[in-house]
Amino acid sequence: MAVTAGRPKGGALLPARLSALSSSRAGSLTIFIIRRLLWMIPVVFFVILITFFLMHLAPGSPWDRTGGRQLSAAVTHNLDIKYGLNKPEYQQFVIYLGNILHFDFGLSYQYENKTVTSLIGEGWPYTAILGGLAFLVIVPVGVGLGVLAALRQNTRVDYVTMGFATLAASFPNFVVGALMVVVFSVMMSKWTQHAFFLPSADFGLDDHLIMPVLTLALLPIAYTARLTRASTLDTIRQDFIRTAWAKGLPERLVVVRHVLKNSLIPVVTTLGPTFAILVTGSVIVETVFNIPGIGRAFVVAVTSRDYPMILGTTVLFSVVIAVANLIVDVAYVFIDPRVRLS
Amino acid sequence: MHLGTRIRAVALASAGLFVVAACGGSTGTPSANLAPAAQQILRVNTGVEPNSFDPTQQTYTYEAAVGRNTFESLLKPKADLTDVQAAAAKSYDVSSDGLTYTFHLQPNAKWSDGKPVTASDWVYGLQHFLNPALAAGYVDPFFDGTIAGAANYGSVDVTSASAIDSFLSGLGLSAPDANTFVIKLQHPAAYFKWVMTLWVAVPLRKDVVESAAGGTFPSTDTTKPLAWANNANTIVGNGPFKISEIASKDHVTMVPNTNYWAGTAKLQQIIYYYISDGNTEFSKYQTGALDIANVPLADVTVVRGDSVLSKQAYLYPQLTGFWMDFNAKKAPFDNPKVRLAFAKSIDRDKLANDVQHGTAKGLASFIPNGMAGYDTSDNTQSFDPAAAKKLLSDAGVTADTLNKFKLLTRNSTGSKTLNQFIADQWNTNLGLNIQLDVIDSKTVTSRIRKGNFDIYGPSGWGADYPDQQDWMDIWFAASCGSLNFGCPTLAGYDALVQKADSELSQSQRNADYLTAQKMLIDQAAGAFLYQPYEYDLVAPYVKITHTAFDDQFAPGDQNYFSAYITTH
Repeated sequence: MAVTAGRPKGGALLPARLSALSSSRAGSLTIFIIRRLLWMIPVVFFVILITFFLMHLAPGSPWDRTGGRQLSAAVTHNLDIKYGLNKPEYQQFVIYLGNILHFDFGLSYQYENKTVTSLIGEGWPYTAILGGLAFLVIVPVGVGLGVLAALRQNTRVDYVTMGFATLAASFPNFVVGALMVVVFSVMMSKWTQHAFFLPSADFGLDDHLIMPVLTLALLPIAYTARLTRASTLDTIRQDFIRTAWAKGLPERLVVVRHVLKNSLIPVVTTLGPTFAILVTGSVIVETVFNIPGIGRAFVVAVTSRDYPMILGTTVLFSVVIAVANLIVDVAYVFIDPRVRLS
Repeated sequence: MHLGTRIRAVALASAGLFVVAACGGSTGTPSANLAPAAQQILRVNTGVEPNSFDPTQQTYTYEAAVGRNTFESLLKPKADLTDVQAAAAKSYDVSSDGLTYTFHLQPNAKWSDGKPVTASDWVYGLQHFLNPALAAGYVDPFFDGTIAGAANYGSVDVTSASAIDSFLSGLGLSAPDANTFVIKLQHPAAYFKWVMTLWVAVPLRKDVVESAAGGTFPSTDTTKPLAWANNANTIVGNGPFKISEIASKDHVTMVPNTNYWAGTAKLQQIIYYYISDGNTEFSKYQTGALDIANVPLADVTVVRGDSVLSKQAYLYPQLTGFWMDFNAKKAPFDNPKVRLAFAKSIDRDKLANDVQHGTAKGLASFIPNGMAGYDTSDNTQSFDPAAAKKLLSDAGVTADTLNKFKLLTRNSTGSKTLNQFIADQWNTNLGLNIQLDVIDSKTVTSRIRKGNFDIYGPSGWGADYPDQQDWMDIWFAASCGSLNFGCPTLAGYDALVQKADSELSQSQRNADYLTAQKMLIDQAAGAFLYQPYEYDLVAPYVKITHTAFDDQFAPGDQNYFSAYITTH
């Protein structure tokens, strides 16, 4: 599995004298990171370009109200001037690019006098806690289920585990979230006469988080479990494992020290994509469970046509995913010394 | 008043329906069972974070709920809504030509930081509000036919500071002395006293605004003049409460303004939470985390059947009405007979009972119960399927023609449920097959504003103030695409309503508005549907006096100054 598979080779971007560094391993790693960071610039540019023109194509203006008294023409005219919407779209695009070069993501249309940066700052802790907890669930549960299924291959345990993984992978998270709310909030509340049920919305560091974290984690758990099972099955047929058994090591040592250590390498590479699933999943999960994080802010921004907020959150998502992939690629180098960065 | 995600304009109603929420009818002196100060905390849900804490920039009820408690307007409605009464103004005089309003301010009015409120603060507040560069959303009632010099609000060049300055200094606002604030009008407008009850017409402190902005700023600046409202420390108001904490995404806390001219409020804290999910709000009330909550539609029957909750529930009408719009610019809906046939084939009682679970009342006229202009004597739109069918055949319109039309529907549960019921009524009673066209809300708004639809609903209006002018202006030809979307042609309507708007005799105004309302009903400008009711739970230890429609979210939220918590 090539580390840079599917990603553009960026050698041409680097000045020649930097390649002198590549004689050492640390040097080549530095060049690799710099190259990947430079590649983020065109990636983010195209993300902005596509998002900018797509959102302006969507019908409805930011000043259209979804009910009641509409703003008068005099007011919307002045709002257009206030937020620069009276200029042609290509000019707005160039101005926006100029502004984000000094990290000015503009003012939200929805919240008077609040910058997109401060709104993202407010939502970020919620999304980070949600994603962090999901991550803490995904790795042990996913790996555990995968190893269990592999060690008990072709038994009932294996079939149940993999059946669960297949189901979990095929259910979209908005269905899972809604189903959980129906069962654990609505129906359980009815059965127990309101004595015990899980809260279906809101945010708190308690039972509020159980359903959102599980909903978010379900799909990555399924992926991780299937991948771990496959790579564990691959590993346990290797000669050195047979040797480990032959020299009489107990099962726990064989599995932890020899099997796991080797079978986890491919699993680590999926952590980048897992991160992307968590980011995109937060958009849906935060909306279903009413959590005021960045994912929900993005959905609200789209439905209210809050252009600077749509762009700000999209740029953030793309940078986060790119950086996560980079970190995983770098981590891979340390886990598997055979990997070459080129 | 915006009818957005959550509408909480509460109506005063006729005697039989209105519940004076002294909550259980407390007896004895108010302080007899007053809870200790530590328990004087009221926790309410407004559902959405305010977009601004500057009252002049607020446009939604969930924002004005904060603005109205932290700032005080010159006047406020009387409890029975028949007239205005003193608030920040101790009294006011109107010149005999109806053009000059002189407000005498409360002599000992003070800001929350202890400085006296002066008439020049009022001039500054209204100039801030009417600065076209800031594009405040609720400005229309102030420039459109009212304040002198404001008529060209829309044509000021907002990129030129001198143009804005000359517009603002040319407004009919003056402060002849520290306690007298004078407003001159373009032409007589008997309803102007009501306009001055709105939460957007408040004083502001120039020194506070400028120090938060970091110094003086040109009038073209659109961010510095609003900087003060982003920080609880610089929100200096003249209302009974002041903001002590702004916890973004979660809540805002208000505490008494000890400098308020009428004394210090008993409540020591009001906390407004931003819980967007109605079911969560309801369950938080049941677990004691909220003191006042709205009952979700799906739980109305549960509350009614619950021996404890039903005693804490209050049902009262809102000054709000809903109707269906027909695109009168396209055949066959340009024919009033066709519109009337649709209006006459909706069973409004069934709608109120089956769809709204009794939290609404069918209304086949325009102005809702509880304010001047409510009149149900014209029953042209009442339910009569046979007459409706005859109207259609008289108009020569066949089912095949009508079945091509779609009912444009917002993708919210409430809109879909209601419109499905209405389409079923038409299909059953007129033998049609009309389908719903459900799309996202912003796109719906964009389409109705451009007239790109066949039938749309529900359209709604909630009273800004209980005067007919606020309602009748909706159907002006010039309001097509902004306030009304069907855009029916109503011969003579505009002239009649404009006459009533500037008429000084109230009885003549009432008569003219009644004639105008008859035109709306008889020509089916819209198919008028129902008046919604608020169904709220109030904890038994909360003593509130909720008086009028201008409650923003919860019963009594305009009178939290006199509200208190009893021992419990």
